[in-house]
Amino acid sequence: MNTEALKDLLYKIADDQLILGHRNSEWTGFGPMLEEDIAFSSMAQDKLGHSLAFYKILHELGEAEPDTVAFTRNANQFHNCQLVELPIGEYDFSLIRHFLFDNAEILRFDMLTRSSYEPIAKVATKLKGEVKYHVLHANTMIKQLGSSTDEAIERLQNSLNEALPYALGIFEKSKFDNELIAEGIFEGEEKLQTQWLENIKKVLSQTHLELPDLNTITPKFGGRYGEHTEHLQPLLDEMAEVFSIDPTAEW
Amino acid sequence: MSLKSLDPRVTRLELPENPTEPTPKPELDQLITYEVFHQKKENAAYTYVGPVHAANEEVAFLFGKEQYSRRYACTGMWVTETKNVMVTPYTDEAVSVYDVIRIQPENVTENVGKTAENYEIFHLKKRGKAHQHMGTVSATSYEDALAEAKSQFGDKKPCVNVWVIKAADMFRSEEEDKDIWSTTKEKEYREATAYRVLDKITKYKEENPVA
Repeated sequence: MNTEALKDLLYKIADDQLILGHRNSEWTGFGPMLEEDIAFSSMAQDKLGHSLAFYKILHELGEAEPDTVAFTRNANQFHNCQLVELPIGEYDFSLIRHFLFDNAEILRFDMLTRSSYEPIAKVATKLKGEVKYHVLHANTMIKQLGSSTDEAIERLQNSLNEALPYALGIFEKSKFDNELIAEGIFEGEEKLQTQWLENIKKVLSQTHLELPDLNTITPKFGGRYGEHTEHLQPLLDEMAEVFSIDPTAEW
Repeated sequence: MSLKSLDPRVTRLELPENPTEPTPKPELDQLITYEVFHQKKENAAYTYVGPVHAANEEVAFLFGKEQYSRRYACTGMWVTETKNVMVTPYTDEAVSVYDVIRIQPENVTENVGKTAENYEIFHLKKRGKAHQHMGTVSATSYEDALAEAKSQFGDKKPCVNVWVIKAADMFRSEEEDKDIWSTTKEKEYREATAYRVLDKITKYKEENPVA
């Protein structure tokens, strides 16, 4: 078993979940309606829970404690894709990001349930139901709002155009993709992207939204190896504010 | 000057410190109300849990899940528009509602050409409790369904109120999506009981006696 390849895979998964979970928690108390506020908040909690599960596997592989890993690294040590670190923007942007990300996440979990590395397969099997619900939530809201008023459609379309280059960054190839595929640990980003594209097209075809031609888009790569936008470091500072003051704080 | 808050999210909104009165807006349409039923464990009867308001039944289902499945265990959910619920009059607990309501016997000729369909029957045992699913009957109308319910469930007492809902009007969670209901044990922080607030209040009161 190639430990470096495993860690590379686990870090990007866990960091995506931690950062998106934190971002989506910023909607708590600010949601467009009470029920959506609750929905975004509880899905954010789920994401943080998922990141913890993967940081625990990393810890078993010799990495630091989950809290240390989450709260003490700098932006250039994070492996999340840039999509998840972008500010929440207005609700249309957060919803589109949620849709694009979770439709990839459910396929990733599905692949991981078949992973030859048992601890990953176990965690993925256990948590998959939650991701399934996140996708149900995203697809339902996109279908509803994406075929409602002109303003909703225009906002979602603009956000889709803006988010898409970053969404393609989810599938930035790992240095270890070939090893991971060969060892049956993970089926690879390329396969993931192909299936993802099919699935999001199915949902978008039931709305007035149009998927831009992917050939005209340059994916925003770099996040998987520490290259981030200006937005990540302030997020990390804010997230770790209490931990930095008192690492033993309890509440 | 924009508003500064201890909550950085509020500060980021760059709201004016002294906001002007909001401009009046035209009244908006109200969303539709839906009634939500939950199943607390496998094979248990579906029970009424509360209303949600939403734009359509799929969104109502999401909101139902958010509002009503986080606090208790849940293995399935049904949602229907409020207007689809046929409600009988109420009785007090001494009398079954079936003994009070007059059910018009269906006219045989009226029923010609009508095809039967399924209706879900819910009983309320006591005021203040929740309606519980008793079973499904096949009938040609709400009235007919109620007559059918009386013959099948009329002996189940007490029963102070009955709801009749067309089975086809019920939006139901998918059998294949069962796993969306599973929660993990590490999530106690979500439960109200995980917050020992009263302990803290008692402790605070002991340490800070009112003079």
